[in-house]
Amino acid sequence: MTDIAALAQERTQIIADVLAGRIPKRVPVIPGITYEFAVEYAGLDLMTATWNPENFEPVCDKVCQDFYADVFPVIHLRFPALYKTLGAKNWVMGSQGFLQHPEVVGLLEEEYDEFIENPYNCIMEKVLPRIYKNLDTDPQTRSIVMAKAFYIFNEEFGNIGATAAKLSQKYGYGTANLFTAAPSAPFDFVADQLRGFRNMMLDVRRIPDKVEAAVKAATPLMIKMGWPATPLPNAAVFMPLHMAPFMREKDFARLYYPTFKETVEAFAKAGRQTLLFVEVDWMRYLDYLYDLPENTIMWFEFGDPKLVKEKLGKKHILTGFYPVTLLKTGTVQQCIDKAKEMLDILAPGGRYYFNFDKSPLTLDTVKPENLKAVLEYVAQNANY
Amino acid sequence: MFDAEQLKQAVGDLDEDKVMEILREFVATNPSQEEAQQAVAACQSGMAIVGDLFEKEEYFVGDLIFAGELLTNAIEILKPVLGTASSAKIGKIVLGTVAGDLHDIGKNIFKSMAEAAGFEVFDLGIDQPPANFVNKVREVKPEIVGMSGVLTLALESMKDTVDALKEAGLRDSIKIIIGGNPVTKEACEQIGADAFTTNAAEGVKICQGWVK
Repeated sequence: MTDIAALAQERTQIIADVLAGRIPKRVPVIPGITYEFAVEYAGLDLMTATWNPENFEPVCDKVCQDFYADVFPVIHLRFPALYKTLGAKNWVMGSQGFLQHPEVVGLLEEEYDEFIENPYNCIMEKVLPRIYKNLDTDPQTRSIVMAKAFYIFNEEFGNIGATAAKLSQKYGYGTANLFTAAPSAPFDFVADQLRGFRNMMLDVRRIPDKVEAAVKAATPLMIKMGWPATPLPNAAVFMPLHMAPFMREKDFARLYYPTFKETVEAFAKAGRQTLLFVEVDWMRYLDYLYDLPENTIMWFEFGDPKLVKEKLGKKHILTGFYPVTLLKTGTVQQCIDKAKEMLDILAPGGRYYFNFDKSPLTLDTVKPENLKAVLEYVAQNANY
Repeated sequence: MFDAEQLKQAVGDLDEDKVMEILREFVATNPSQEEAQQAVAACQSGMAIVGDLFEKEEYFVGDLIFAGELLTNAIEILKPVLGTASSAKIGKIVLGTVAGDLHDIGKNIFKSMAEAAGFEVFDLGIDQPPANFVNKVREVKPEIVGMSGVLTLALESMKDTVDALKEAGLRDSIKIIIGGNPVTKEACEQIGADAFTTNAAEGVKICQGWVK
């Protein structure tokens, strides 16, 4: 076996161990580096480079050369060509070229009943034309726009898959895919894509029964969106969590948690783990997180890592907590000291892989030498 | 007239039905402009209760959004009787989400609470380049500049904005506060702001401290 193949096998093994709750040989290093960061790191212009899939391989190759990871590290989720074709209002480019999700309203308050009655039809007929303005047209034009959009979608994902496979071979990365699909928790879907953050918070107080029914109606769609059609090794459905930290616990318990749990349980029963991006601060909800299926992967942004390790660390798989902003403000030594602190708290007993609290978004959000130093440090100093 | 304490408490409790009932009955008595101002003041004091409960973690961001909506609706009901009298402002804030970032929910919550605390707020909007902050500061001469952002890339834009204010010779005449998910003490120091917060209620208190 070549050295590269042996390296890949070792990496695949430590990831398999950690995801199964076994203590691996060492702590896997699985950072998520955004494609936007990679583009700027490779010296290209964010405004123009993300439109052309041909840039993907050389840009990623540069990141793979310079930053340590056990799995192909680049995450590419935002495609300007796709959203431009659709005339998207829910994904819009900021003045510096970074695509982001502004507040949108896809469903009006008076349309709740229609959504609850038949969510799929309501999304097709009301929501999509409202969020994607190029679909707000006659059926013939709309079908052409849809066809173009899906051509781009398939082209982008095909290119990402092929490039990831190629670079994984070149660099001996482990086999893992923690982003097989990206459904939302049903409450988050209704908030982010249908009612908007602000309206959802008002609806929770004014018409909680409608909210509850809509969230229930959205649940089968979210399960379908993340459904593991084919078995894969070391795979997870990615679910970024959004609204819970902004809610009162009693609203969370009634309106957010039950369908969220149902969705994660459905994937678990089908043999697929879920990777939750536990955004903002969930310290109030640790008991709820505990009750999710064993070995759910939880990527924490803020909170107390000691408390989380103590409460969840024997049942679930943990990652995150390392403040990525330190990579911008700190010295190399301070950044390494923080990595050591995270390892000391989170590594004992396994069920932990290294990642930051969130992904570096663009080149100016971190000092690349800090990022490099931390990833190297963890790769070499976290043996069991 | 109305029971100011009762109105204040109803706003603090976020009891929308009760607030609206009190205000509708009050407006029906055809009150003077001065009395109407007192009703506004009672609602604003209610917002201070909301801010306190938020800091105690009894209320959360969703409640602040609801409180902002409640206050807007309350002022709407009072408008016909408020006339031209306007309450004294305690200071001016130029506010905006910095360049590259399109997020505005946190900014809007801060704006609504700062207005309730008596500030006049000039809201530039989202994705605002440094020059727009500079121009607005020149025009309205605020005591305070508030910069908001959610994405980590906002930190660099905040620094660019502070640098632009320095270059324009305006930095020393203002206090600068930054707010949003990525801000930290270290980031605040590097950016050159005077204060930072991830908590809108605390942010308003910091601003109140500056204009005392």
